[in-house]
Amino acid sequence: MHESRMTKTLLISNALAHDAAFDLAARALYRKQSSAIPPYSGYLRHLGVDPSAAECWRDIPPVPTSAFKSHDLSAAPAGSEVVTFETSGTTISRPGRVRLSSTALYEASLLRSFARHLLPDDAQLPAIVFGPARAEAPRSSLWFMADRIVEKLTTGEQWVVRRGEPDWDLADATLERAAKDGTPILLLGITLLFAAYLERLAAKGRQVALPTGSRAMDTGGAKGQRAEFTRNEVAAAFHRQLGIPSTHLVNEYGMAEMGSQFYDDNLLAAHERRPSKPGKQIPPWVRTRVLHPETLEEQPDGERGVLVHYDLANVEIPLAIQTEDIGSRVGDRLFLEGRLLGAEARGCSLAFERFLELERAR
Amino acid sequence: MTAAFYLPLGLEEGLETAVQRFGPAHDSLELHLPVVGPDDLLRWIQVLRDARAQNLARRPIAGIIRSLDRVSRRFLDPGDAARREAVDSLARAGRFTSPMLERALDDAFQPVTRGGLSRWLSSELGSVDALDRPAPGPGGTLRHAHGPEWMLQIYAGNVPTLPIWPIYSALLLKASLLAKTSAQEPLLGPLLARTIAEVDENLGACLAVVWWKGGSGHLDRTALALAPAVLAFGGDEAMASISRQSQPDAVRVLHGPKVSVSYIERRALTYAALRGLAARAALDISLYDQQGCLSPHAFYVERRGEVTPGKFAEVLATALEARAHELPRGIVAAEEAASVQLFRSQARFEAAGAAGAAGMSSGGGMSPGAGMLARAAWMPGGGAPSRGASRVLESPGATTWTVVLEDRARFEPGPAHRTVRIHIVDGPEEVARALQPSIRYVEAISLEARGPERVRLAAAFTSLGVPRIAPVGQLQRPTPLGTHGGVRRLLPFVTWSSVEGAAIKQAAPSAAAAPRKSKPTSTPKSSASRSSGRGSRRKAPKRRR
Repeated sequence: MHESRMTKTLLISNALAHDAAFDLAARALYRKQSSAIPPYSGYLRHLGVDPSAAECWRDIPPVPTSAFKSHDLSAAPAGSEVVTFETSGTTISRPGRVRLSSTALYEASLLRSFARHLLPDDAQLPAIVFGPARAEAPRSSLWFMADRIVEKLTTGEQWVVRRGEPDWDLADATLERAAKDGTPILLLGITLLFAAYLERLAAKGRQVALPTGSRAMDTGGAKGQRAEFTRNEVAAAFHRQLGIPSTHLVNEYGMAEMGSQFYDDNLLAAHERRPSKPGKQIPPWVRTRVLHPETLEEQPDGERGVLVHYDLANVEIPLAIQTEDIGSRVGDRLFLEGRLLGAEARGCSLAFERFLELERAR
Repeated sequence: MTAAFYLPLGLEEGLETAVQRFGPAHDSLELHLPVVGPDDLLRWIQVLRDARAQNLARRPIAGIIRSLDRVSRRFLDPGDAARREAVDSLARAGRFTSPMLERALDDAFQPVTRGGLSRWLSSELGSVDALDRPAPGPGGTLRHAHGPEWMLQIYAGNVPTLPIWPIYSALLLKASLLAKTSAQEPLLGPLLARTIAEVDENLGACLAVVWWKGGSGHLDRTALALAPAVLAFGGDEAMASISRQSQPDAVRVLHGPKVSVSYIERRALTYAALRGLAARAALDISLYDQQGCLSPHAFYVERRGEVTPGKFAEVLATALEARAHELPRGIVAAEEAASVQLFRSQARFEAAGAAGAAGMSSGGGMSPGAGMLARAAWMPGGGAPSRGASRVLESPGATTWTVVLEDRARFEPGPAHRTVRIHIVDGPEEVARALQPSIRYVEAISLEARGPERVRLAAAFTSLGVPRIAPVGQLQRPTPLGTHGGVRRLLPFVTWSSVEGAAIKQAAPSAAAAPRKSKPTSTPKSSASRSSGRGSRRKAPKRRR
């Protein structure tokens, strides 16, 4: 796509909080994608849909996340991509791919959302990432995101996962130094990995009193195989073992198939000295529809259903994405539902392996 | 409120219980569960071992079979309280409906009444009473079978009847049993154990069936560190962790995730047979809402039959609709429905590509579909573009059933809940290629073919190592005489004492001292179970001594 920089910035601006502006931008992007992404063109023809006739962004047919596994859903000419993200695969299905020839808008979107929800005080912090460096996971959108964040928004970084193994000693040393120096620190990573680390600290009877202003962004968690811990347990462990209060533990939801992410509001609320809003913030340049799981009819606010996202940061890949995530929406707040607590591997039937991915690759 | 655990008399007293909610939040079932600590487990295991020494180790097998037969008959009797409780409590838990559960109980208990239990034992151990005393084995050697002192069994919750044959197998092996149920289905195991105790308190004294939180490390470790024998069902990761945590010398039979498929040969595709075939296929799909390892996820249908695969797909869709009334589905969680919806969208997306390709081959109408071309270059391995789904048939307004027609063979199980792919194929070679990389996930193939074709095709699939080939419509009714996951149900847990040099004639007098079962050793026609078990074996070595 040959968007001017201005158009690109506009695609993720606050102006899009207005439905009319979002609608115009979404339909314009859709019309471009309808010819620029070949398998999407074929799909629209098959559905008998005329992109120029869309009267509203809701008319844009979403592609299922799984279609990234079977089709090359990128407008980027072959060979022009600067990153290729892989989406989750299962025991049998292969992973999907997201090819981008430019990450400018993606980066702009992710940095904006992150800064707003994790750094509303413009804090300059060193970071410790509970995950691998980008070079070790070049196909992961999550570690790409972490890489961009530490590069652009922090004052230094440590990567805890090396050659696929967590280096807990490094984590210990880094956090203890931060405690000793009185330097607040930013933690980024996967909920499960944090949980494992916090459990280890607890087992060793160790507590690190991180300086005030330290904070953490965790992602994944409720939707994992080991749904043994609740959100409250994780927050309590962060507080107990590291001294990070629940106001400074921010959960994020995202996926490789989307350029935008959704964040909890608690740190921003603490900064603004107001009660936090429940759920996650839907960015102004994103709309989320909630569809009845059986009928696919759009659900009213507050009712649960299948989440379909419309993301203007998806310039080179389809902007409308049908997920298999369940949640609800009230206004611009998104409520995600994890797996039922106590749910465990159903075993025997392979179909349920789909739910068992430790973490979605993203 | 239901007590979702069973402990032998005495252990239940003074036990702390907690109420746990199961099932969907809006309609959850409250169950009483024991609060289990590692010390409890250790104590229970000791009690179970003592009970086995006292009640089971030297008990003649005939008595065990008689009692288990009475238990099976209770669950087969529509008016019996045990069966009623099974159907009512499981239906209330919501995952399966009453008609489905009635059918499931019939299918599960019919093969394990008295005659079936005897045949099961003799088919695996060579004779019904090999666990009582030395009995003639292959080549005339006398062999005495021993089961483990106790077993640890860990169940998956995908189908409610799963614990039935495992619990029976422990008792047939004269082993005590500590069983851990699944959070998804914690009801039938304890109910079966309680019914066994009602029928035969000595057997009941040797059983404990409980649930504790999955992956709560120390409890799993405690049980696994002690168990001499482990039979477990579950996901790959759970199996790996059980394997790591059990004793190195423990006998382990671990059943990981599996699904089944179906193959239909073109000569079986006649208009005369079509409706019956589709009805049987729909039964295999609908039973247990496709949650079982014996549930078919793919139908490989040969082209060039009198009936096309496309027509078969249509008639199957009609049959699925009919089965949905006869065997209504249980509550489908939103997450599961979301997976079905994604599956349908994906199929439609692929069908768009197929339509483009059809346009290309017929040379008319549609443009070649740049998507297809881009995709051909994209697919791993290069080669011909694989097209995937070409048609999607679905129950309107709900995820009740979904049939996707594809013009090539592949193996990628769907989200269950009666979603199935019909693959148009040229022959078994194409299917073998599709299955080969994931063959360890295939539990069974239902096969529709006649005469010599059936034999030929069955051989093609058994040579892949597929554990079971069954007729279409019979997938969900495995016989205990067969294997589970290609593994016998008793034999792996048995050790043997052999008596060499002692010819049958010499053994006969001592065996004759025992009641009843001795005579048949010299008269092959005594009972169906024995003759079927031994007859074939004795022919092979033919006068070795």
